[in-house]
Amino acid sequence: MSDLNKTGDQAVDPRRATILLALIGAVFAVYAIHLFDLQIRRGVEYRAMASTIARQTTTIPAQRGEIFDRNVSSPLVLNIDSFAVDLVPAELPAALRDTVFQKLAVVLDQPVDELRAKVPPAYYHLYQPIELAQAVEYGTVTALAERADEFPGVVWRAEPKRSYAVSGSFSHILGYVGDITREELKVLYNKGYKTGDLVGKAGIEKQYDALLRGKDGREYSVVDVRGRAVTRSNRAVDQPVMGSNLVLSIDRRMQELAEDALGERMGSVVVLKPATGEVLALVSYPSYDPNLFIGAGGNNVYAALLADSRNPLINRAIQSSYPPASTFKAIMTTAILEEESVSPDKDVLCEGQISYGERVWRCWNVHPGHGKVNLEEALEQSCDIYFWVVGRDNLGIERIVAYASEFGLGTASGIDLPGEVDGFIPTPQWKERRFHEKWLAGDTMNVSIGQGFTLATPLQVANSYAMIVNDGVIYRPHVLKEVRDASTGAVVSRVEPEAIARSRTDPAVYAEVRSALRGVITEGTARYAINTKAVEVAGKTGTAEVGLPDRWHSWLASWAPYDAENPEDVIVVVVMVEASNPWEWWATYATNIIHQGWFSGQTYDEAVAALGMGWIAKPSASRME
Amino acid sequence: MAISGRSLADIDWWILAPVIFLMGAGVLFIYSSGVTSEGLVVSNEWLKQLVWVATGLVLLAAVIIVDWKRWRDLAPWFYAASLAALVYTRLFGRVVNGARSWIGVGEIGVQPSEFTKIAAILMLAKYLADSRHDPDRFGRFVKAFALAAVPMAFILAQPDFGTSLVFLPIFLVMAWIGGIETRYVAFVGLLAVLTLGFAVLPLYETVIADAPSVWLSVFYEPPRSWLLIGGLAGVFALSTLGFLFGRRRYYYWIAYSSLLLVASLIAALVGRMVLKEYQVMRLIVFLDPSVDPRGSGWNILQSITAIGSGGLGGRGFLQGTQSHYRYLPQQSTDFIFSILSEEWGLVGGVIVFFLFFLLLARCVVLLRSLKSAYAAYVVSGVAGMIFFHFIINVGMAMGIMPITGIPLFFLSYGGSSLWTALIGVGLALAVSARRFDL
Repeated sequence: MSDLNKTGDQAVDPRRATILLALIGAVFAVYAIHLFDLQIRRGVEYRAMASTIARQTTTIPAQRGEIFDRNVSSPLVLNIDSFAVDLVPAELPAALRDTVFQKLAVVLDQPVDELRAKVPPAYYHLYQPIELAQAVEYGTVTALAERADEFPGVVWRAEPKRSYAVSGSFSHILGYVGDITREELKVLYNKGYKTGDLVGKAGIEKQYDALLRGKDGREYSVVDVRGRAVTRSNRAVDQPVMGSNLVLSIDRRMQELAEDALGERMGSVVVLKPATGEVLALVSYPSYDPNLFIGAGGNNVYAALLADSRNPLINRAIQSSYPPASTFKAIMTTAILEEESVSPDKDVLCEGQISYGERVWRCWNVHPGHGKVNLEEALEQSCDIYFWVVGRDNLGIERIVAYASEFGLGTASGIDLPGEVDGFIPTPQWKERRFHEKWLAGDTMNVSIGQGFTLATPLQVANSYAMIVNDGVIYRPHVLKEVRDASTGAVVSRVEPEAIARSRTDPAVYAEVRSALRGVITEGTARYAINTKAVEVAGKTGTAEVGLPDRWHSWLASWAPYDAENPEDVIVVVVMVEASNPWEWWATYATNIIHQGWFSGQTYDEAVAALGMGWIAKPSASRME
Repeated sequence: MAISGRSLADIDWWILAPVIFLMGAGVLFIYSSGVTSEGLVVSNEWLKQLVWVATGLVLLAAVIIVDWKRWRDLAPWFYAASLAALVYTRLFGRVVNGARSWIGVGEIGVQPSEFTKIAAILMLAKYLADSRHDPDRFGRFVKAFALAAVPMAFILAQPDFGTSLVFLPIFLVMAWIGGIETRYVAFVGLLAVLTLGFAVLPLYETVIADAPSVWLSVFYEPPRSWLLIGGLAGVFALSTLGFLFGRRRYYYWIAYSSLLLVASLIAALVGRMVLKEYQVMRLIVFLDPSVDPRGSGWNILQSITAIGSGGLGGRGFLQGTQSHYRYLPQQSTDFIFSILSEEWGLVGGVIVFFLFFLLLARCVVLLRSLKSAYAAYVVSGVAGMIFFHFIINVGMAMGIMPITGIPLFFLSYGGSSLWTALIGVGLALAVSARRFDL
C-alpha cells in the first residue's frame, strides 16, 4: 500500500487534508491525556469511590392535587393515608426466603406466586427496596411491625392513596389513576414521566394530570457499593412540590339531582350554563366506582367492567352519539327563518302520512294528523311532515348541513375531558364516497327530522340549544373552573369563557325560535309532562327511531328560565335516555324534575313530591333487564 | 474498470483491521454489560450483536463488490428515498424514548435517521464533486449546506437532537475537504457552537455558575437581549451597505461577525423555546454533574467513577463493580466505553483510541491520494461521521462532552448504527480498491 502517496494530480488540496489529520491527531492526544488523568493520576480516588460509596437518591412522591366541586366545600377526590410494603432482597437470608414469602402472602392477602414474581433471582443481592404491595392498610402494617423479626428485609413507607369521596356519576368526570404503562411512558417520556409513576387514566385525572401530579422531591444519601446506607447525617432533601388543587364547574347538588332524576336508566344528562360554557352536571349511567379497582385485586373488577356489555366505562354524554331526532327541528326552524325558505305563516297540510319515492312517510301522529300547520305549530307539535316537505322542497341538504355544522354538530366541542367523539352530519359527498350511491331527496327528509345518519352527542345537543339561548354564540363547554395552589388555596388560574362558534344569524330569528320552543312546553308535545311551576321552561322533545318496534331513544333538550333577565341564571338541560330501557318517555319527566329541583332548591325526592310524581317510584328491577 | 483479481489483497487492511478489532471488543463488553455481580447472564444482547456484525459485514462486502461509481449515480435516489423514509417515520413511526424515530414490523425495527447519514454523504459528495468548478462559490456553499440541513431538520423534528447533530460535522468535514471557502465553513462551525452556547447560557447561569454574571445576561434576558439583537442587526445592515458602496475589506468582516452573532442569538432563542429545561440540563450537566446527581448527572458521575477506577490495567474482564452492580445506565449502548475502561484500564482505552486513530488517519491519507474528487469527498464524510461519534460518545463517558445519546460506532450495541458504520467503511474500502478510477 506504499503507493498511496506517490500519485500526482490529487483531487483534494493536500494542505487541507493535512490540517484535518492534525485536528484528528490533536483530539486523540487530548482525549488520551484526559483518560490518563482520570485513570492514573486520580485513579486511586475513583477506585475508592467505586468500592466504598456512592450517592443514592430516594424519591419523595409529590402529593397529588385534590379535586373540588364549584362550591369548594368538601373534596370530591382526596388522598388518604395508605402504605406501601417493600422488600430489600439482600437483607432476606436465602434460607428464610420461602417461609417469609409464604407468611407475607398471608398477611398481604396476595398469591405467593405474584409476590415472588416481583423479586426475580437477579435482584436477590440488591439493597434497593422493591415494592411488593401498594394501598396497604394501617392494620396490616401494624401486624407486620409487631412481628418484625419474622420479616427480615420487609420495610414499609407511607404512600398516600387516591380516594374518590363520591362515586356514581362523578366517576365519569373525575376518572381515575393507575400505574403508568410502557405505552404511556413512551409517549410521555419527554414530559418528565418515569417508570412507576402514577398517571391519570380517564376523566379530569387524565386531562389535567400535568397540573395534578406536582413534582417529586428527592432525598440524597450516601451508600456503599451494595446500596447500604453509610451515613444518614449529610442527607440533603429536595422538597416535593404538591400538585395543584382543581375546582370544577360541576355543582355537586345539581350533579346528584341529575343523577337521581335519570335513575337507573341507560343514558345521560348534560347541564351547562350557556353564558359561560361551564358544565354543572354531566351524568352517564351506568357508571362505576374507581375505588374498587385502584386498590389491591382491582384488576378483576376492572376486567369485569370492561366485559360488561352495558359499557359502564363509557361516558355517554360525550363519548356516545345518537340520532338527535326532533331536537334537531330547533336547528331546522332557525335555518328556515334565517334563510326565509318559506314564510313562517305558510301552512303545510299534515294528513298523517305522505307518499314519496317508493315509500309512505308517516308522521308520528298518523291519526288524525296535525292538519294545517305553520312553522311555529309544526315545531310545537313536532310535525314530521312539515319538516320533511320544507326540508326537501325549500331548504335543501346543503343549507341544512351548513346550519347543523354552525350549531356545532359533527365536530367535537373541545370539552376538557378525554375521549369526546365528533358525532356525524351526513352529506351527499359522503354518501357517494361511502356507499357509491346518489343522495336522494328521501335522505334529505330523514336529515330534516334528525334521523338517518345524523349523530350527535348529548353535549352537542346542549351546545346547539346554548346557541339559541345566546343569540348565536356557543362557549366551549368546560369542567375545570379554577386551578388553586395546594398549600395556600390561592387561585392560580381561572378558565375564561371562550367562544367556539359565532353565528351571523339575525338575533330576531333566535328570539322567534325561543318563543316557539317555549310554545312546545306551553302548547305542544310536552304540555302535560313538564308541569313544574318553579320556572318557565322552554325546549324540545325528541324520539329517535332505532329499529325496535316499541322502543325509542328519548330526548329532551331544554333551558330555563325561558326569559331570564340575567343570562348567568340560565341553564341548558339535555336528558337522553337510550332505547335499551323500556319506553317511559323518561327524558321529559327527568327534565321536569331537574328544573323543579334546581329552581326551588329541592332534592330529587322533594322535587318528585312537589310535582306529584310519586307514581314513578317504580322498583328499579322492573326497568333493567 | 474491473478490480484486478478482486482478491483480499485489494482490501485496505489498515482500515478494515481496526474495525474488526473494535467490533470484537464491542461484543465482549456487550456481553460483560449483561452480566450481574453474581455472574448471571441477564441479557443476550451480545448474541444479537454478533448477528448484527455478521449481517453488517455482508453489507460491507456488498458495498465493496459493486463499483462505487454506481453508488454515485444512485446518490440522488438514495437521498430522496431516505428523506421520504424520514417523513414516513415522523408521521407513522414508533415512539421510543420520546422520539418518533423507529419504523419496523413487530420486534424488528430500524432507525431511518441512521441510514440517512450515508445517503447524505453520497449526495453531498456528488454535489460537491459536480460543482467543483462552479464560479458561484457562495451559491455552491449554500446549496451544499441545504443538502445537509434538510435531513438534519427532519430528524430534529422527531425530535432526536443527538442524531441530527451528526450532520453538522459531516457537512463541515466534507465542505472543508471539498474546497468550500474557509470563511464559509468557519461560519457554519461557529454558528453551531455559538447557538449552542447562547441556548444553554441562561440555565448554565442559574444552575452551574457560582454567581450569574450581569454582563452575560444581555445575551438572553429581554429586553436587553432584544436591544442587542436589534443593535447587531443594525451593525450588519450598515456594514453591508458600507461594503457594497465602500468596498473596504473590514466592512466585510464586520458584517460577517455581526451576522454570525445575530443569527446565533436568534437561533438560540428559537432553541430555548423548543428545548425543554431538562433537555438543556442534559447538555450542560457535564460541566458540574453534582448539581443533579440523581437525574442527568447520575450517568456522568457513575461513568467517570467507572473509568477512573479502572486504573492502568483495569479490574479485569467481567470484574468491574460499577457495571455489574448495574450503576451504569445504558451500559451496552451509550456507556460501553465506561465498562471497557473500568475492566481493561488505560491500556484498553488507549488501544481503542489508537484503533480509531488508525482508521481515521488512514482515511485521510487515502482521500489525499484519490484522483476522483467524488471518492475523496465520500471518504471524508465517512471519516467525519466516525470522528464525531467518537468525540461525543467517548467525551460523554469521560465527562467532558454533553449527553446526547450518540452511540460509539463498532462498539455500542445496536444494529442500525453498526450497519451505518459498516456501510460507510465499505464505501471507503470500495474507493480504496479502485482508487485510480475517476
